[in-house]
Order: sequence, then C-alpha cells, then structure tokens
Amino acid sequence: MSTLTKVLIVLLTLSSIFLCGIVVTYVANADNYRQKYLDEKRVKDAKVESEKQAQKDFNDIKNKMDTQKTELGNEIAALDRKKRELETDLTEAIRRADEKDLLASKWEDLTIEFTKTNESQRQWLEDTLAKLKAIEVEQIEGDKELKETTAALIEKMTIIETLEKQSKFLLEEKTYLQNELDKLLRRSGRAVAPPVPVTPTKEKVRVAPPTVDIGLKGLITTVDLENSLAEISIGAASGVKPNMKFHVTRVDRFICDIVILDVEPEKAIGTLELMDVTKEQPKAGDNVSTNL
Amino acid sequence: MSPNGQARGKKVTVPYNLYTIILALAFCAVLASAAFVAYQCYTQYGTLFKIPT
Repeated sequence: MSTLTKVLIVLLTLSSIFLCGIVVTYVANADNYRQKYLDEKRVKDAKVESEKQAQKDFNDIKNKMDTQKTELGNEIAALDRKKRELETDLTEAIRRADEKDLLASKWEDLTIEFTKTNESQRQWLEDTLAKLKAIEVEQIEGDKELKETTAALIEKMTIIETLEKQSKFLLEEKTYLQNELDKLLRRSGRAVAPPVPVTPTKEKVRVAPPTVDIGLKGLITTVDLENSLAEISIGAASGVKPNMKFHVTRVDRFICDIVILDVEPEKAIGTLELMDVTKEQPKAGDNVSTNL
Repeated sequence: MSPNGQARGKKVTVPYNLYTIILALAFCAVLASAAFVAYQCYTQYGTLFKIPT
C-alpha cells in the first residue's frame, strides 16, 4: 500500500470522524420544527377557536346590549316622565311649603299676640282679684259698719220713739196750756196771737224749665250766702226770664245752680240751689251759664 | 501484509490491518452518524425522505 493511500486513509478517517461529529452535533442540537409546527398549529387552532368563541360572545353580548339598550331607553323615557312628574310635585310641594311657612308665620304672630293677650288678661285678672279682695275687705268692713249703724239706728229709733212720746206729751201739755191761756185771755178780753214757729220752714224745690237751647252766659256780681241769693250780670235784655236755671262754675268745677226769681233789664237775682256747704262756695266773678 | 516480513528485520511498517481498522472506524462513525440522523428524522418528522406536510 502506498504511502499516499495510507495518508488518504488517515485523512479520510479524520475528516469522516470530524464531519460525522459535526453532523451528529448539529442533528442533536437541531430544533424539532415539526413539534414546533404542531405546537404553533395547536396554538393557532386554539386562537381561531378562541376568536370564534369571542366573536360569538361578542355577538351575544351585542345582542344583549342592544336589548338592554332598548330596555334602558324605555326606562330612561319612563324615568324622564317620572322626573317631570316629580318636578311638578316638587314645584307643588315648594308652593305648599311656602304657604305653610306663611301660615306658620301667621300662626306664630297669632300665638305671640295670644300670649300677650293672655299676659294682659292674667295681669288684668290679678288686678281684678286684688280689687275683689279689697272690695271683699271693704264689704266686710262695710258689713261691720252696717251692723254698727243698724245697732245705732235701732238705738236712735228707740230714742226717736222716746222723743216722740215726749213730743206727744209736750204737745198735749202745750194744748192744755194753750186752752188754759185761751181761757185766761177770754176772761181778760184779749185775742190769741197765732203761733210763730221758731225754725223757719224751707220752701219745696221748684222745677225750673229746661234752658238747654238758650246758651246764656254771664258772671255773678253779688252773693248773699245767708239768704242763699245771688245776683248775675245779665238780665231781661239778654233773654233771662224768671224760674230760669243757671249753672255756676269756676274754671272747670261745678259750684251750684241759680234759679232766677227777679229779672231786671241788665241784671237778675236768683236763689242758690244744690250748694254743698262742705265744698266751695259761690262768689263774685264765678261764671254762670244755662248750659254746662 | 504478512507477519513474516517483520520477523526478517525489514523496515518497520504499519500493517495493513491498522488502516483497515482505521477505515472501519471511519465507516462505523459514518454509519453511526447516518443511523443517528435517520433515527432523529424518523422520530421527529415520522419519515426519512419525504417532506412532512
């Protein structure tokens, strides 16, 4: 065997081993594309199936959403109607609330006024009760005074009866003495003088004619309190007539009345009536008038 | 290739069997590689010569 053949054999062997090693290494490390293909295909099929399912779900959801949209549209329309009704009710409620507020303020005012009225009534009632108590006390005192006065009256009536008896006795004695005096005077030929009362008798009050519409005014010029007479500054020339009644006043106080007895042209004289001796007496310068 | 030549004191040479063994080793390596490749092809693609679809 030639050397060249030997060298070729060795080279062939080395190259074969080298190439085989490379081939084996490559094949051992090569990817399994079929497996990858199958995996990818399975993934793709799964994706396609998922897409179909998603499309189906999408369609279902779309249909459902359409249905819900229609229902929600109906509900929105109903809610709009209800909203309008509620707005109307709200407006009505606000109006009623305003009316109620107004009514409440009126009632509040009435309550305040009623409270004030009650307070004043309570005060008035307390005052009235106090007055009633005072009146009751006065009544008790008056009853006591009445009893005392009644007792005094009974005592005075007893005294009056006694005095009447004495008076009757004195009258009988006077009649007896008068008869005895008449007998004595007849014997001596004298007449009997009429008895003169010690106490002068007053005349009865005369009713004066009404003088309301005349309207005469004047002044008192002279006053005679002993005889209860007064002279005024107007007379027949001013329209004064007998029995005409004048009222005597001083500033704004009533003093007494004057009933005209005698009338002259420029003056008149009358009697004083309704004069209270415990109060003010008429005097010159007081006003006289037919009307108060 | 005969063992008699070595005994006579001739030039030492490598017997032919060594190269045969070397060739056999190369052949075995190639064969093993082919078998391995075939096994891989069959196990991964299910065929040896066709293109899988």
